[in-house]
Amino acid sequence: MLVRFWGTRGSLPVAQRADAIQAKIAHALVAAGGRRFADEAEADAFARANLDFAAYGAYGGATSCVEIEGADGAFLVCDLGSGLREFGIDSVRRIAGGHPPVYHVFLSHLHWDHIMGFPFFGPAFNPAATIVIHSGHADAETALRRQQEEISFPVPFDWLRAKFQFVVHPPGQPFDVAGVTVTLVAQHHSHDSYGYRFEKGGRAVIYSTDSEHKVENMDAEAAFEGFFAEADLVICDTMYSLGDTVSLKQDWGHSSNIVAVDLCHAAGAKRLALFHHEPTYTDQDIQRMHAETVRYEELVRADRPQLEVICAYDGLEVAV
Amino acid sequence: MDLVWRVRTAGGRLVGEPAGRVDETTWEAFSAHLTAAVREASAAGAPLILDLSQLDYMSSRGLRALTIARREAGAQTSITLAAPNARMREIFAISRYDKLFAIVDDVDSDA
Repeated sequence: MLVRFWGTRGSLPVAQRADAIQAKIAHALVAAGGRRFADEAEADAFARANLDFAAYGAYGGATSCVEIEGADGAFLVCDLGSGLREFGIDSVRRIAGGHPPVYHVFLSHLHWDHIMGFPFFGPAFNPAATIVIHSGHADAETALRRQQEEISFPVPFDWLRAKFQFVVHPPGQPFDVAGVTVTLVAQHHSHDSYGYRFEKGGRAVIYSTDSEHKVENMDAEAAFEGFFAEADLVICDTMYSLGDTVSLKQDWGHSSNIVAVDLCHAAGAKRLALFHHEPTYTDQDIQRMHAETVRYEELVRADRPQLEVICAYDGLEVAV
Repeated sequence: MDLVWRVRTAGGRLVGEPAGRVDETTWEAFSAHLTAAVREASAAGAPLILDLSQLDYMSSRGLRALTIARREAGAQTSITLAAPNARMREIFAISRYDKLFAIVDDVDSDA
């Protein structure tokens, strides 16, 4: 399987302002220290080798949308956040190259940041396309239709041309989608949310976002340790610090970087992707959070194998 | 690694002394000892000092047990974390628990 991140930001799309770009350029020029480069390719190679990600790159600002490539003749995509627009454009390119126009969508929940990309999903207008919306929520169709009502959007749902199917799944009962085995787990979040486990060829990917692990309900985490068990990649909501989740942001429905590490450690997972980044965080903030999470994993690893901690960004691809 | 817990009184304070580590296998015992100590301190009208000098580390489970204890203690019983090792200081900083709890260098320090 190949996991492709199209949107990694939590709650609200974020766009880089000019001053953020200017700071990156100034940082790069200082780092270059007066060097001369024959062309942009040489300058790019220097920057790639010498600048940290927050200076050379950007984590991006599109909200949740993660593609899992590897199904038989179908696109699999988790959530319909604003990253969906770019995914839709890219999928049309791949369909032109022969990929079947079949989409399977897996919704974590129905909050705005997880469905806001849908009105801008080009393939929804393709009469040859089939779009299956999988969810743990019985009201998923209502949420998507309501978002396109006249008060919110000029194009009503009924104008879409693709063939739609809405399928509600109970947690804990595996089902097959285009050769991939999928299982849901119920998560604690306002109006509920669901995590997904995708398995194929002995590999497992977990998508678990907008999931609060309540301080007074730690016994329930055994279910998540089981759900994450031996996963090759766990994509996990790490929006806040643990301190925030037990104080000001308690009951806001999100988890922390260090609880994610602990769950992955207990589950024997191999790799953790930090995800659903706080929208107020700059690239430097996210990079710092990533470095702190890597360090925390080292501090509490004990005699376990190392858990690789990566930080998701818009455009990241991870082979599983 | 097992968790060892001792409790003593000193200078009008109740001092809890966990030793070992607090992780997914020991957090329940840690939380139970800590909650009992909070109740004992509250009944005595004494502040609770948690002497962390013999603690290797605690994961998020232990940190969250501290939050449970804080809620149990309410406003009238203070909880101070004393003498954490360098590893624990890093964990408090990464988790931002250093903004939630008073942390002092040694058990005899004032919070």
